[in-house]
Amino acid sequence: MPLMSTWGWFRSPELLARICTKTQGFGLQEKLALLSPGMAAFMVQIAGKKDFPALLPLNENELEEQSVKGHGPGGQATNKTNNCVVLKHVPSGIVVKCHQTRSVNQNRKLARKILQEKVDVFYNGEKSAVYKERQEAQKKKQERKKRAKETLEKKKVLKELWESSKNVTEERTADSDRMYCTAYKE
Amino acid sequence: MKLWGQMLWGHLSGLRGRQGGIWGWACSTWQSHQPQAGPLSASGLVKHWTAVFEKRGIPEARESSEYIVAHVLGAKTFQSLRPVLWTQPLTAQQLQGIQELCNLRLQRMPVQYILGEWDFQGLTLKMAPPVFIPRPETEELIEWILEEVAQRPQAVGAQGSPLILEVGCGSGAIALSLLSQLPESQVIAVDKKEAAISLTRENAQRLRLQGRIQTILLDVTIEDSWTHLLPWGPMDLIVSNPPYVFHKDMEQLAPEIRSYEDSVALDGGEKGMDIISHILTLAPQLLKASGSIFLEVDPRHPELVSSWLQSRPDLCLGLVAVRKDFCGRHVAGPKDHGGGKLLTSWQPGNGESKEGSGDNSYLPEAPSEHITFN
Repeated sequence: MPLMSTWGWFRSPELLARICTKTQGFGLQEKLALLSPGMAAFMVQIAGKKDFPALLPLNENELEEQSVKGHGPGGQATNKTNNCVVLKHVPSGIVVKCHQTRSVNQNRKLARKILQEKVDVFYNGEKSAVYKERQEAQKKKQERKKRAKETLEKKKVLKELWESSKNVTEERTADSDRMYCTAYKE
Repeated sequence: MKLWGQMLWGHLSGLRGRQGGIWGWACSTWQSHQPQAGPLSASGLVKHWTAVFEKRGIPEARESSEYIVAHVLGAKTFQSLRPVLWTQPLTAQQLQGIQELCNLRLQRMPVQYILGEWDFQGLTLKMAPPVFIPRPETEELIEWILEEVAQRPQAVGAQGSPLILEVGCGSGAIALSLLSQLPESQVIAVDKKEAAISLTRENAQRLRLQGRIQTILLDVTIEDSWTHLLPWGPMDLIVSNPPYVFHKDMEQLAPEIRSYEDSVALDGGEKGMDIISHILTLAPQLLKASGSIFLEVDPRHPELVSSWLQSRPDLCLGLVAVRKDFCGRHVAGPKDHGGGKLLTSWQPGNGESKEGSGDNSYLPEAPSEHITFN
């Protein structure tokens, strides 16, 4: 890959790509799963805002962005489709490569968002907003599983009860017949 | 399985100069290395077509094959595909789709026309030749306008619901991205080509913005044609990415551009100033006193425009700011017109010199946050 030769400190693109994809979808999907359909649209906005309340904003002066269109003429004279954005946070050395969309503008915004999260984790570790969110989401997931399991068990128990009560009714009918006959005979 | 084999053979034999060899290799590879990225997986196909494009001198070989393969798999970019899809074998139908699209790329068709769509400022727009393909640099023009509208609404004449005129709307990229990010705005989009008007309308409908945009077939270089726009005026903003290529540079454009895009959307005349000067001429008649003009131009233009404006004091226009796009390259010389384009903003004056106003400075913004590596 051409980028590999230019950037010695570059991490494996595949690894970055996967991280990019995961983090991109993370959070929102988890939240939406908990909501009823009617609330979803309203909550998406809140969820979006809630994503980074505690995150430190990135200082643009500490960022280096590789401009893939920096070679040769630009604008109308060219048609370049390489909209991949590579963004480096110089103090920590963290690099994000984003090629999620075909709009370089969107990729730049996404790259900053992802970088912001990573930088937060880098400096704050377990105290980072991302980590906390993940913990929370996992906890909720576990709770949901637990509740689902309990509900399933309850259903099982009820089913068993119903089944057994059916059998009991049939047996009683036979018994009472016999008793009746016996009594009658005597 | 047999049909699969036949389709596969059909696909592979369509590839130049690599017939029996590939077939035998691909077959055994696929069967024995299934979990890995075989040649018939998305990754394998990207690798294959990248090599084909490179051999044929097709620019952006890897990017082109990635976009095409991703598109056939239903994603916008290769990176955005679920990683598990990178290594799964593709269906015969998918292979055929990729083959067809890649053949178009071999004919130097721009990727945007091949896919029939492209993204701009978060919107997905339909693309169709020969309507001009929006350039990524123009996304910065949008950012600049949005910043100005947000920070200094009075400077752009926008009081809540700005009325915007776009000259040369093309696919509707600028108009629609402004509409989508300025919910109260209205746009009048003009273009001299029917195909552009038609495409802008279609994109507006796709994005459900048709209620706030008026598309008009109009050639602003025709004398007094702008008077047709008076009923809608006066405007808060005039924005344009006008044809600004210097005529003598037209023949040096890549085949993708020369053969597929409308040259009328590119050719700005001898000094690339033809349409720019027309826009600046009509601007005072259509713009509010507090309004602004935002243009995308060639790096050589601010000086040319400056001197042109000086020769037209009747227009009462002042050059307010010049902003470089994130390429940040200076004009190097007559042959190499550099990587940067300058985005310029004009504010109409009130007959007085704008030199005194705080805004009026030639601001070649140092792209401190964006560093270009060679």
